[in-house]
Amino acid sequence: MSQHVDNIKPCYPLFRDDDYRKSLENKRVTVEESHSDQKIKETFEWTTSSEYQELNFQRTALTINPAKACQPLGSVLCALGFEKTLPYVHGSQGCVAYFRSYFNRHFKEPVACVSDSMTEDAAVFGGQKNMYDGLKNAKALYKPKMIAVSTTCMAEVIGDDLNAFIGNAKKEGHIEEDFPVPFAHTPSFVGSHTTGWDNMFEGTLRYFTINKMEDKEVGKNGKINLVPGFETYLGNYRVMHRMMKEMGVDYSILNDPSEVLDTPADGKYRMYSGGTTIEELEDAPNAIDTLLLQPWQLIKTRKYVKGTMKQPASNIAIPMGLEGTDEFLMKVSELTGKPISGSLEKERGRLLDMMTDSHAWLHGKRFALYGDADYVMGMTKFLLELGAEPTDVLCNHANKRWKKAMEAMLGESDYGKNTIVHTSKDLWHMRSLVFTNKPDFLIGNSYGKFIQRDTLAKGKEFEVPLIRIGFPIFDRHHLHRMTTLGYEGAMYILTTLVNSVLERLDDETREMGVTDYSYDLIR
Amino acid sequence: MATMTNEKTEALIQEVLEVYPEKAKQDRVKHLMVNDQDPDKSKKCMTSNRKSLPGVMTVRGCAYAGSKGVVWGPVKDMIHISHGPVGCGQYSRAGRRNYYIGMTGVNAFGTINFTSDFQEKDIVFGGDKKLDKLIDEVHGLFPLMKGSTVQSECPVGLIGDDISAVAKKKAKEYGKVVVPVRCEGFRGVSQSLGHHIANDAIRDWVLGARDDDDSFESTPYDVAITGDYNIGGDAWSSRTLLEEMGLRVVAQWSGDGTLSEMELTPKVKLNLLHCYRSMNYISRHMEEKYGIPWLEYNFFGPTKIAESLRKIASFFDDKIKQGAERVIEKYQAEYEAVIAKYRPRLEGKKVMLYVGGLRPRHVIGAYEDLGMEVVGTGYEFGHNDDYERTTQDMGKATLIYDDVTGYEFEEFVKKIKPDLIGSGIKEKYIFQKMGIPFRQMHSWDYSGPYHGYDGFAIFARDMDMTLNNPCWNKIVAPWKKGVEEDEAIAENA
Amino acid sequence: MALRQCAIYGKGGIGKSTTTQNLVAAMAEAGQKIMIVGCDPKADSTRLILHAKAQNTIMEMAADAGSVEDLELEDVLKTGYADIQCVESGGPEPGVGCAGRGVITAINFLEEEGAYDEGIDFVFYDVLGDVVCGGFAMPIRENKAQEIYIVVSGEMMAMYAANNIAKGIVKYANSGSVRLAGLICNSRNTDREDDLIIALAEKLGTQMIHFIPRDNVVQRAEIRRMTVIEYDPKASQADEYRVLAKKIVENKKFVIPTPITMDELEDLLMEFGILDEEDESIIGKTAEAC
Repeated sequence: MSQHVDNIKPCYPLFRDDDYRKSLENKRVTVEESHSDQKIKETFEWTTSSEYQELNFQRTALTINPAKACQPLGSVLCALGFEKTLPYVHGSQGCVAYFRSYFNRHFKEPVACVSDSMTEDAAVFGGQKNMYDGLKNAKALYKPKMIAVSTTCMAEVIGDDLNAFIGNAKKEGHIEEDFPVPFAHTPSFVGSHTTGWDNMFEGTLRYFTINKMEDKEVGKNGKINLVPGFETYLGNYRVMHRMMKEMGVDYSILNDPSEVLDTPADGKYRMYSGGTTIEELEDAPNAIDTLLLQPWQLIKTRKYVKGTMKQPASNIAIPMGLEGTDEFLMKVSELTGKPISGSLEKERGRLLDMMTDSHAWLHGKRFALYGDADYVMGMTKFLLELGAEPTDVLCNHANKRWKKAMEAMLGESDYGKNTIVHTSKDLWHMRSLVFTNKPDFLIGNSYGKFIQRDTLAKGKEFEVPLIRIGFPIFDRHHLHRMTTLGYEGAMYILTTLVNSVLERLDDETREMGVTDYSYDLIR
Repeated sequence: MATMTNEKTEALIQEVLEVYPEKAKQDRVKHLMVNDQDPDKSKKCMTSNRKSLPGVMTVRGCAYAGSKGVVWGPVKDMIHISHGPVGCGQYSRAGRRNYYIGMTGVNAFGTINFTSDFQEKDIVFGGDKKLDKLIDEVHGLFPLMKGSTVQSECPVGLIGDDISAVAKKKAKEYGKVVVPVRCEGFRGVSQSLGHHIANDAIRDWVLGARDDDDSFESTPYDVAITGDYNIGGDAWSSRTLLEEMGLRVVAQWSGDGTLSEMELTPKVKLNLLHCYRSMNYISRHMEEKYGIPWLEYNFFGPTKIAESLRKIASFFDDKIKQGAERVIEKYQAEYEAVIAKYRPRLEGKKVMLYVGGLRPRHVIGAYEDLGMEVVGTGYEFGHNDDYERTTQDMGKATLIYDDVTGYEFEEFVKKIKPDLIGSGIKEKYIFQKMGIPFRQMHSWDYSGPYHGYDGFAIFARDMDMTLNNPCWNKIVAPWKKGVEEDEAIAENA
Repeated sequence: MALRQCAIYGKGGIGKSTTTQNLVAAMAEAGQKIMIVGCDPKADSTRLILHAKAQNTIMEMAADAGSVEDLELEDVLKTGYADIQCVESGGPEPGVGCAGRGVITAINFLEEEGAYDEGIDFVFYDVLGDVVCGGFAMPIRENKAQEIYIVVSGEMMAMYAANNIAKGIVKYANSGSVRLAGLICNSRNTDREDDLIIALAEKLGTQMIHFIPRDNVVQRAEIRRMTVIEYDPKASQADEYRVLAKKIVENKKFVIPTPITMDELEDLLMEFGILDEEDESIIGKTAEAC
């Protein structure tokens, strides 16, 4: 080894140097007491078999590589979407360190969030004192306009009551009576990150409206409310603003972190930026309707919109792909009486133009797919619209009703006849499926890269490349700024998919003197 | 940056604390100090390893992070089960860059997340039965794994599950060790207790396994690397130096480590301890039980490396002592060339650090080798012995902060105006937006290794690329330039 | 009439479940629509109404089904004597898991599923023993039970527990609408029991809403898994429960309790001759030394 100052090598390729390889091989042979190469190879091959898949699918207790996270992650993202709001998690502090770094790595942005650092004594006596000090300190240091409280599983197991604690904190003067502290219980052993988003959103909407319903009247402000759900593509907030504006619709996006998660580097750190205001939340019951952009995850919110706000909460699917967007815009038009604008119609035409251009490369291509319930449904729908064939679609946290709805949707398409829908399954299940059903591509978040590597380990011809659409994406830069909703989002997805197909084709045909065909300049 | 004096730094601390409510201020003041190399003066000032205040935005983690994330997670041929709800295992999955070589999913498991994904019913009825079943499934699907650990998350301790009983039963059933680790996140005040709990679990469930087995052929030159998690390959660029000087590295704790290596460690002649904070416990235990001496060393930067190599060699015969000199000489040209290239580009630059483990003090030498000066440092989860070890390495009137809050760190940086900050992912984007060059000093900002001579070259390259990248000069829009400066002057006036 | 939610607390073994079931039977007999929510892992809060131990507790059903989301209300809601709706939270065997969390889950489930929506006049929560953790305080959280009744007797530990429960109520009462609504004295035939409980009630700022004398007919009914109201409606004891029922229906005295200190409680017990004056000379002396 030894570095040359003009060519300093980091981990790769440094550790490919001979002396490092020798040292590591020596380590393996002399002290690791590793299994024989033969045994390892055999075992690996077995893990790619259908026999292994059968064993793998018998699991009832063990989860391996889940495709979901826990509730308070969602509640923190939700809190970030309100104006000048500090997310506050009642419970163990380590959780907050994890939520922050998880979002930091995905968005490449700072994420402000506090914990009230409950420790062993609080586990015994309850966390009310932590809440007292926590609210007081957080407000003094970070000067938010609102503190949005959710919980870790520690606080949930011991049964801390947020309503009482926050009420007492106000009564005892640790924080002003009129300072807004909406809250939601978010036990991590129930549901997933999307449940946590729903709970925090419902809790906040409730907090600002439940006692002020007398003077509210559905339709009074002439607006459409949009509720994004757990949404990590910043472009999706922006495309909603744009589409509503182009249609001349008066609207409120009731949760919008697209500013605070995209602040400029101009010499100043902004802990708060943009976000839905309290006034907009208070005014929400006066809207014509509240549309839930990810309806499968917004169960509690729907109930509140219908039950308390007495709005229809009209049924829509996630506005992803062509028809999803069509239906969404038609619903908005129907509710507001505003026609779909010429600009959007032209945009639709451009999407269609792209679909006609690229169809030959996507038709019949087989994709495996995983992610959150609404995203998976929207993406599956779009794949069908493109003439692509979903092989296995997997959602770790979805319920049986979702599965039925998916199967109904797939059954209506010629391209969905062979698709299998999996719920309560994880990415180790997906690994087996990818080996046995051999799709052309896998669509998902960064965790999918390990599946790609495993398939390559079996041989180049078994490799299933990962297309990164989802959350989290840690290993590619700036993809979170893209758009996956609306016609614009469909264009991004289409571009990503077709170019992945073409890149893969190049990859497979780049061998000179062997595949001199199909390595084409024109496609 | 203005030159700091004791009085100025003290005044800065007072000023920053102004905004705190009284009770919090009383607490925080004990965690901030002006450095004085006179040990009598400084060590009594610092309070550490105490509970973080609620609501202040600590960056600390939890005991689970210290055990699963730091100590146990890197042991590559064992399966580490995150026992409890789904989040902890997901957030800590493959996020630390503790490199290893192996067939992941077959005989190595480092980047896989195994979890019991607790549901409501597991909380109400207890999770022991699920754990029992889960370990059966682990054995069925991963026959080549060497053993497993159960990393407890918060609820497990709260509902009173008896994971030790399950562990004992299953270990007996399969003849492979199952280590119960009671590292629930609410225990202790930071990651630190998790390190200790993990060390104790190794002591109680792993370490004595070969006490009656002499089949391993030891040599007089056997050592173990402890407290190196092989971030970006750190342990690899360390072990090669030790091998070159004639030693045999029997174990890596725990980066790229294996169960066997841990079990064999009681046979070594010397334990080399890099991260004192996280592995002093097991080193002390091995000294007591097996009479194995241990020594702290520092492989950041050529000055400390040479010092450390000689200190290590002093435990051995002349062959090794000559070996150490040979290694230092061999790399001299390399590191001198690195310094010759980068020192002029970095000379005089001021650095503020805020990290965990050993780095708040250990990397100071490497910066100094490049002509840079560390003007502020602090530990996320240090104890008194860490601060005692730090005061000598820091200059007079520099700032030291313990469990610094988001607010304090930002304010200190605004006042001290360092040229470079080395801290973690949660701080990175805050300071980059403020226009201050920043390096993650936990993950080496996706680079590394930084240990050893090879690592030092990368360290120098990285500090230079970040400090001297053209982007920092463009932060202020050209049409704003005059205006901003005027405002800044007005603000300081 | 708006739904009234009541929780019955009291020391373990005091006769809470028996009193509750006889009380609601009397109320139902008088035409009230009632639901009982058993908040005790033993799941015996509805046995006398259903004539059987409830088999389908929410937590056990949820464990079988996978999660509570997979449950339907009709799976767990049973109808018993006089159309009383019965549901049990259920929970683990003693010594494992977290029964308190089971209570939280169960009540959340009932609310989500709209169990209280359909013409119910009263919901009664029958809660395990003392308030042992946050989970068991679930029924007195905001928007749940507003009226708390404590079953008590003239025994020292029962009164001690009652005072503790009052402390728990204060915590939630300050920020919410939960109130102490009275002490129900379930007689153990101790000396001057009624006066003692009236005195305790006064100190706590509440009332002894009714004194239920001891009568073996209760046990006779219980052996048949029935309430007295159903088993022997003509018994005088049945009338006692009817009086209690009437008093609760008409009750207006809802207070934030004023729990007392240990010393005050001891003074009270001494005044009634239940506790002797402390003899400091014997403290710390072993049997031998004496």
